[in-house]
Amino acid sequence: MSSQSAIITDRLTKRYGERVVVDALSLEVAQGEVFGFLGPNGAGKTTTIAMLLGLVKPTAGRALVLGHDVATAPTTAAARVGAMIEAPAFYPYLNGYDNLRVLCRAGGLNEQRIAAALAVVELSERARDKVRVYSQGMKQRLAIAATLLPDPALIILDEPTNGLDPAGTAEIRALIRALAADGRTIFLCSHMLHEVEQVCERVAILKAGRLIAQGRVAELLHQRHGLRVRVEGDPAPAVALVSTLSWVAGVRRDGDVLLIDAPADRAAELNAHLARHGVLVAEIGAQGNSLEAFFLEVTGEP
Amino acid sequence: MMLRNLFAAEWLKLHKWPVAWALLASFLGLMSLSLGLWAMVVALHEGILGGVRISTLGEVQLDQIKRQLSFPGIFGAVLGQINGTGGLLAIFLAAGSLGGDYSWGTLRTLLARAPERGIYLLAKLLALLAGLLVAILISLVMGTLIALAASHWLGLPSHLTGRDLLVLPLGIGRALFVILPYLLATMACAAWGRSVLAGAGGGLLFLALDVGAGSLGSLGKVSDFTQLLVNLLLQPNINTLVVQNAQLFGLDQSVLASALDLGRLPSPLQATVVITVYCLLFAFGAWRWLVKRDVMGAQ
Repeated sequence: MSSQSAIITDRLTKRYGERVVVDALSLEVAQGEVFGFLGPNGAGKTTTIAMLLGLVKPTAGRALVLGHDVATAPTTAAARVGAMIEAPAFYPYLNGYDNLRVLCRAGGLNEQRIAAALAVVELSERARDKVRVYSQGMKQRLAIAATLLPDPALIILDEPTNGLDPAGTAEIRALIRALAADGRTIFLCSHMLHEVEQVCERVAILKAGRLIAQGRVAELLHQRHGLRVRVEGDPAPAVALVSTLSWVAGVRRDGDVLLIDAPADRAAELNAHLARHGVLVAEIGAQGNSLEAFFLEVTGEP
Repeated sequence: MMLRNLFAAEWLKLHKWPVAWALLASFLGLMSLSLGLWAMVVALHEGILGGVRISTLGEVQLDQIKRQLSFPGIFGAVLGQINGTGGLLAIFLAAGSLGGDYSWGTLRTLLARAPERGIYLLAKLLALLAGLLVAILISLVMGTLIALAASHWLGLPSHLTGRDLLVLPLGIGRALFVILPYLLATMACAAWGRSVLAGAGGGLLFLALDVGAGSLGSLGKVSDFTQLLVNLLLQPNINTLVVQNAQLFGLDQSVLASALDLGRLPSPLQATVVITVYCLLFAFGAWRWLVKRDVMGAQ
């Protein structure tokens, strides 16, 4: 484990009775990187974040945030962390500015940072409106502004684009990049896999509390290659024909579609081989090579 | 340092919370109504109100009411109101303050910023007490205005001495101490149930049980042992301090509350010890339920 790591978890575990929510999770997030933390609903992502913030006590294992043990030095660990957890939570009877003042006072932070934080999320003009009249997107922006108050070295964002329109989502994406360019570490938890793929350098995927994949986005996607073929008529003869090719490592059927474990650049050769044997190809192409496709494959989600 | 920071945050939330001001306005309204009705009773007895004269109260009772409407008795009357209906309003205030942080989900945002939960709880309690202190001071000012008006209208003798002003902080402190168990019981319930509803419900239930237990006072007449047991309940001990506060300003509560047997009330020392023990138990409950349990999303 490196002392330069922003987050280190060592066999971090949370159980509620017999139910294991997070199972021996070992992660390392380097300082300055944008790290994607993914998983289906109920995978244990928010519980993990809550353990990193000291809100939930681990059953076993430990977590270090910016080099400080969350269990023994929670205040020091939290000092330079900005966190947005699940849905934004604010006092509805206070305006946006006063909500940030409450957080500044609680953390002993300089209230002069509020104006800059509001400007970053373009909420300065509505800062004096009561939060109860804010739209979901505005609350989301205010929550992001709140994460910026402590001049954070580490920003934890749990679903930051929830409730935002496409333009707002693009702005948040740009904001995340800008924050990362300042040398801050971003720990991003999102269902928007397209967004994660665009901004994250590395990702970890959690399923039922267990880490099932971790690595650089490009490397994870590189592991995945193959061709996707749909033929006219019965696909059974096509499966037999494809299996005879020496450069095909495997083939499986998904309805009338064949998923072939073979280099994507041999699509034309495969098409010709099938045509020579009287099998007509209706569609042929590389299997989806996106983070979303990878995520769906490794998590087994439909 | 963290206590000061969290107190500042709690104070900002509290003094900008419209519900807190609505509760104060309700209390001031009820207090004014109550004192106004006493003034009407005196006016009817004195034949000041349109020449109508009604005599239903004895001289001693009437004298007590007149004392409550003039200096220094007005201070005792206001503090008595605070320990009566004020306790109810304090329950709503505490339930909204701690339970609100659970219900709105703001607790995790705050604790992610300032993770020392025990200090957070202490800061909240101190902010609530500071808020109640401000409410008491405003009530005393309003009581003063009412006493001035009533003394003028009814021609009541008023004698405010330096001693009355000197003992006023003691009376205020005692009134806050009497409210403290209700505040802490409500906070414990809010932390246990993680909501405003649990806090308000638990606080009100405790108040109802406590007042109900007060009616067991007559059991004390059975034997010294039953008297000892009854005096371990909260209500008789609270009554001791409330009576003391009234006496501090020349009032005798037993004149207007015939069920109050001053001879059977616990001593002031016992009252202080018993209330402190109750406070410690409730504070431990609130601390245990807040500190030892996980904090997740809005409830």
